[in-house]
Amino acid sequence: MSENNKHHYSDAVILHVSLDNHAVTREQLDPVMYREYLGGRGLGTKLLYDRLSVGVDALSPSNLLIFAVGPSTATLVPTSGRTEVITKSPATGTIFDSNVGGFLAPQIRRAGYAATVIEGRSPQPVYIWIDNDSVEIRDASGVWGKDVDATTDTLLKETNDRAQVACIGPAGENLVLLSSIMTDKHRAAGRGGVGAVMGSKNLKALVVRGTKEVAVHDRDHLKTLVEHARRLIKKNAVTNKSLPVYGTAVLVNVINELGMLPTHNFQEGTFNDADGVSGEKLLERFVERTYNCYGCPIGCGRITKVGSREIGGPEYETVWSLGPQCGINDLEWITLANDRCNLLGMDTISVGSTIGCAMELVQRGKLDAALRFGETEGLLEIIEDMAYSRGLGAELAEGSKRLSERYDSPELSMQVKGLEIPAYDPRGVQGHALGYATSNRGGCHLRSYLIAPEVLGSPVLLDRDRTEGKAELVKLFQDVSAAMDSMVVCRFTNFAWTVDDYADMLAACTGFELSGKELLTIGERIYNLERMFNVTEGFSSADDTLPPRFRNPLPEGGSRNRVVHLDEMLTKYYSIRGWDEHGGPTEKTLKRLNIPMKRGK
Amino acid sequence: MDLTVEELAKTIDHTVLKPEATKNKIKQLCEEAMDYNFAAVCINPCHVEYAASLLADSSVKVCCVIGFPLGATLTEVKATETREVVKRGAHEVDMVINVGAIRDKNYDFVQKDIEAVVAASGDAHVKVILETGLLIDEQKVKACEICKDAGADFVKTSTGFGPMGATPHDVRLMRETVGKSMGVKAAGGIRSFKDALRVLEAGANRIGTSAGVAIVEDFRWAKYSDTWTQPDKPCWTCPSRMASLAKQPKEVYLWYKRHCITCPHRDDNIFTD
Repeated sequence: MSENNKHHYSDAVILHVSLDNHAVTREQLDPVMYREYLGGRGLGTKLLYDRLSVGVDALSPSNLLIFAVGPSTATLVPTSGRTEVITKSPATGTIFDSNVGGFLAPQIRRAGYAATVIEGRSPQPVYIWIDNDSVEIRDASGVWGKDVDATTDTLLKETNDRAQVACIGPAGENLVLLSSIMTDKHRAAGRGGVGAVMGSKNLKALVVRGTKEVAVHDRDHLKTLVEHARRLIKKNAVTNKSLPVYGTAVLVNVINELGMLPTHNFQEGTFNDADGVSGEKLLERFVERTYNCYGCPIGCGRITKVGSREIGGPEYETVWSLGPQCGINDLEWITLANDRCNLLGMDTISVGSTIGCAMELVQRGKLDAALRFGETEGLLEIIEDMAYSRGLGAELAEGSKRLSERYDSPELSMQVKGLEIPAYDPRGVQGHALGYATSNRGGCHLRSYLIAPEVLGSPVLLDRDRTEGKAELVKLFQDVSAAMDSMVVCRFTNFAWTVDDYADMLAACTGFELSGKELLTIGERIYNLERMFNVTEGFSSADDTLPPRFRNPLPEGGSRNRVVHLDEMLTKYYSIRGWDEHGGPTEKTLKRLNIPMKRGK
Repeated sequence: MDLTVEELAKTIDHTVLKPEATKNKIKQLCEEAMDYNFAAVCINPCHVEYAASLLADSSVKVCCVIGFPLGATLTEVKATETREVVKRGAHEVDMVINVGAIRDKNYDFVQKDIEAVVAASGDAHVKVILETGLLIDEQKVKACEICKDAGADFVKTSTGFGPMGATPHDVRLMRETVGKSMGVKAAGGIRSFKDALRVLEAGANRIGTSAGVAIVEDFRWAKYSDTWTQPDKPCWTCPSRMASLAKQPKEVYLWYKRHCITCPHRDDNIFTD
């Protein structure tokens, strides 16, 4: 039975913190806004679209940094412990959202907030301490300059050891474009330099403790749905076997077998020593135990141990970026380098990809540096230099796009819209390639993870070489992912659940009447709003592209002779999206989705 | 194929035949079968009594395998096994044909082997597993004809423990041979709703799979895009592609591979994925 008839989540408020004058205000969540955009990524996108002026420098005080949770957060819904960080990215100039696991989100929600919106710049380093209704802006000079572990430990001592900390490391403080925001020490809101946005505000950390009840519309019905959803997770081979046993690194051998494991900065798709850096080998050599984020029955996270040091990760993407991408086959070094990135608060994908780019610049005689594919000597120091933006590290700290442009070789940066492409060579997966090109935040595998059907056969195996029908699927996955990020739940549930499952659970949480198709429309609205943000920032179809390397075939391996057929898919994609030839939504599309043409204050 | 989720579920024999299956697993199997309204649960003889008790008040049938998985046991043993599982509550029995006898052209023996099971089955339906991956087309046709003459109710492609599993080609051949008066069950390697739709389109009216829940749940995606049901490369579903010298008799393997040479899709057969 319903606990009451009101729509839940409407009781959550948006907390505004100005670091200019240390003012704290609260805003009631607009029911129309959360009906149309839910929470998390959708809510953050809407707030940014409405309230950030066009052309604002991402590292200026005017940029907004938003931590948002959603209507399923801290409920019974499995995997509902994820937080969305939304801002304008200093790395890409696009709208950007970064999704992080751990245990932060339930604290935010239980403190009563749908989102925390941070603006301005504090004159001195500070951290924000939210203890339910109490919000304090505290001096952070004692932890400024400290790594993520030390910062987390210190701030938990200063506040409440049952609180959760989201903080930056030295990389964020030094405005490094590859910097992350870290929670629970090793869970990263990575990509796009969101840590630098935090650093630009002189904000070292957000610490949150929430203890309030989180009500849902129909607890009994939700319980039934959740039992079903958990059973589906237990029935699914990916969510019940591969991920819990091996973690995400299970993909190393799978992707390598198909000749899609980018090697030597995407010059090849097969890494001869893949087995040595595989999930299987990680399990045999270093895994101490698994790590489950809040409310997660999957447990894809790994806690590894090297010497006496316990380390969170590495994930598949990290193994790839610090391994095959750089020609490195030393799994122990990869694990330690991952740890170093976590401590410094840097995004492992972009760090490894940029180092790989630098190695190719050296290989081709464009850059004179002691960087060689396959060699780890001195690399940990380079990573440290990147975080402190010093020496050659300062050049690498800007990411591969700027680095390669500096050496007149932009074609050697494997990026889209300034964001490094992750661990799947797009030549081997046509749909996934289209997803990279059309991603609103740049080279990202998570906007539309077509690896699921094109490689893993979930829900069915599709021909990875075919282009027909892929535009439809990319749109479908982009829309459903936007909806998931706005509930907010983990992407891995997508292996076991369908759109209808998400819609049913959301309806039970909120009291909305919601079908799977309506949930997809919400996802579509969010995706179009993000696109409009980018259009107003000057992005166009010219940015929906891939590095020229992917027009040349891979020389050998399971994806040999393949190239990306982007043009065949892009026109169709725009047409299905209701976008014009410039890659922007038409007036008709905006009207259908109730998206205002005008943006910003 | 125009099919609802519920209609698809009704074609499925929800299957657990692994030797390590525990009682708890059988309980879960039966509960899922009732939740999804599957046609039957397909299990080993030792679990029949328990499953029958769990499914007593439901429309889900108990289906038990006989002479499984090799089909090479004595006819008397198959008949006794059938009698015992029917006594314990089985509504359907899936017996394995004597594959070696088919290959020996010992058709009288094969027919008597099946007739003995049919006679022992009482009111229970009898499905005969041909293990198609061990046979060439001519042998499959002959086996189907014998099953029909012996009074079986269904012909079934595979055990799931042998080579290849169910292919649309085999299902089509079996349906053409037995006509509309008998059932055709496709089993072995059916892991996705696309696999299921393919064999249903080819003429199957029952599917044996241990992935029943995933098939039905994932089928809900089908309404969101036609891409899911696009036809695949011909080689993907061709039995010749799945042939394995390690698992099949040499002459059977070569019989399949010879088809590739004369196949109209030969030009597409370049990469293995």
